[in-house]
Amino acid sequence: MRRVGGAAFPVGLYGMLLLALCWLAAPAVFLPLERLALAVPTLPHRLVAAMASETHAATDAEAVLRVDELRAGLQQRLVVHQVHGGRALLPATWLPVLSRVVSVARIGGGGVPAELRLEHRYRDLAGCQPFVTQGDVLLGRLAICGHGLAIDDGPDDHARVLLLHHPQAAPVAAAMPLPDGGLLRMVVQPAAKVDQAPLRVQMWDDPYRAAQLRTGGEVVRTMSLPAMATDAVPPDLRLGTSQVWGYGSGDDVLTIGMFVEPAVDVRSLSHVVLWTAARPPQPLPAPRTVACTLWRLPGVGGRWLLSASASVPDGAAVVVDGVCLGIARGLAFGQALVTSFPRSRQRLALLLLPDDPEQRPRELWGEVVRASTATAWLSCRGGDRAALPPGFLFTGSNGRHCPPGLLLGRAMPQPGQPDLLAVVVPTTADVLTAQVVVAEER
Amino acid sequence: MKRWLLWFLLAPQLFVLQGALETIAWPPCDVAVLLCLFLALFAKPRALPGLLLGAAMGRALIDEASLPVQILVIGIPVAVLVPLRSLLFGQRWAWQVAAAALCALAVPRLSGLCGLWFDQPSAAATVDAWRVGWSCVLAPPLLWLLRRLPPLRAFVEVSP
Repeated sequence: MRRVGGAAFPVGLYGMLLLALCWLAAPAVFLPLERLALAVPTLPHRLVAAMASETHAATDAEAVLRVDELRAGLQQRLVVHQVHGGRALLPATWLPVLSRVVSVARIGGGGVPAELRLEHRYRDLAGCQPFVTQGDVLLGRLAICGHGLAIDDGPDDHARVLLLHHPQAAPVAAAMPLPDGGLLRMVVQPAAKVDQAPLRVQMWDDPYRAAQLRTGGEVVRTMSLPAMATDAVPPDLRLGTSQVWGYGSGDDVLTIGMFVEPAVDVRSLSHVVLWTAARPPQPLPAPRTVACTLWRLPGVGGRWLLSASASVPDGAAVVVDGVCLGIARGLAFGQALVTSFPRSRQRLALLLLPDDPEQRPRELWGEVVRASTATAWLSCRGGDRAALPPGFLFTGSNGRHCPPGLLLGRAMPQPGQPDLLAVVVPTTADVLTAQVVVAEER
Repeated sequence: MKRWLLWFLLAPQLFVLQGALETIAWPPCDVAVLLCLFLALFAKPRALPGLLLGAAMGRALIDEASLPVQILVIGIPVAVLVPLRSLLFGQRWAWQVAAAALCALAVPRLSGLCGLWFDQPSAAATVDAWRVGWSCVLAPPLLWLLRRLPPLRAFVEVSP
């Protein structure tokens, strides 16, 4: 007869599940263990692959040149649309500092992330104006190193930006046009996490006319208000569009509140602009890359084993012939497992460079919903409601080791599905040399 | 000690091997389901944590989600099935097919849920009817075979 009593309550198994939950709650504690545990089973693959395969070097110089041209075009158009858009609204003596977003964190109003870390350090941005823009949009304020929320930050830390819907962000004086002429002046401040939009309107100057509003969609812009001179921002910068909130439905609505939907979706932000009257800091160099070798895991479409001479961090972008192949998960012994862009289901910030040279680059975020060998269908969000144009898709800001501006592939909109993009990615050999982005710690 | 060494070396390769075999027209069978069934129905209870870790390491090779997520994805169906081991006494093939169907549906569903909760989405979170069907059909004979081969042979619960 089979002995079954011990199986009724296997303490070890339940303990293992509990350990997994603790692991997920504090991943940094278990990271070395995980890196080691996954590196060991990949060692035989590395050994066999190194002996049996011939490495294909990245040799297509023409393709690399073409990618470099595209990246230069993207950078140029980013400067035109993200910097010069706000130029006319600010003093001519101020100079722009274009800074890459490194990370997005801390949930603010409307349940949207409300804090940015920039690639520039506080020290680099000394002398910059305290507000941050993108185009003609006011995004938020630069935190002051050693003060307030940034009390623990030092001059060498990445600069922190508190967006306008951050719970600790200062309110902003604003105005919006009324349908029957004139302006409705108001104070815009962070909404609660559970609110329908990130920003909430307070203290409007004409409650009677405000109560007559039935529809939203009006552009809300900053204005000068002597009473708020301490935290003053330049006037006429765009904040977003209004959303009316009230009791009732249809035409029989009693408007009692208003929200503002920001003009830029934070989750897709890749660059912001700071302004300085002094000499702007030197442009930061591109993140460091390390040469590596990739082997395709047999039978597992879109999974690669990476071997490099340095430790590979989680979330590092792997670049082949100038094109981002995918994102790595670091293992021990200089190894990593790479998931190709079409296979990955991670949510990514993206930049779409339209073919039409007059159009601005689109900042988007989304994830692959289905894929074939060389095509990924991406569900995209963020940005405005305008239809997505054909163009080239690049990475947006996806952490320190996956900088914006790495080419992913050619993107085509899908008829009848305005949020869907089909992205054609280049095919690659089974074994090849590549570069992995390993940003330096300062 | 030797059996554990063999387990941690060979078990993860089962996942890669299955993928490689699928490219040469082998039916799509989910190795995670196979190992779930072995753990739930045949493995020594005291060996379950180590066996689960080895299986999760293998799934982490082919899937984007992290190791603890794989432990949950494989471990939860095992934890549900293990107490039923006494009811499934006799290890009839019908029970195995039913349990295989449960696991084949639960593994991708749990993958999707864990992806949602822990922000670790996975390409293996969609239920593939063919994979479910083939897993049900192939699980009993493959389990029969695996139970007689090292390293799993060493972990089969011994009859007194």
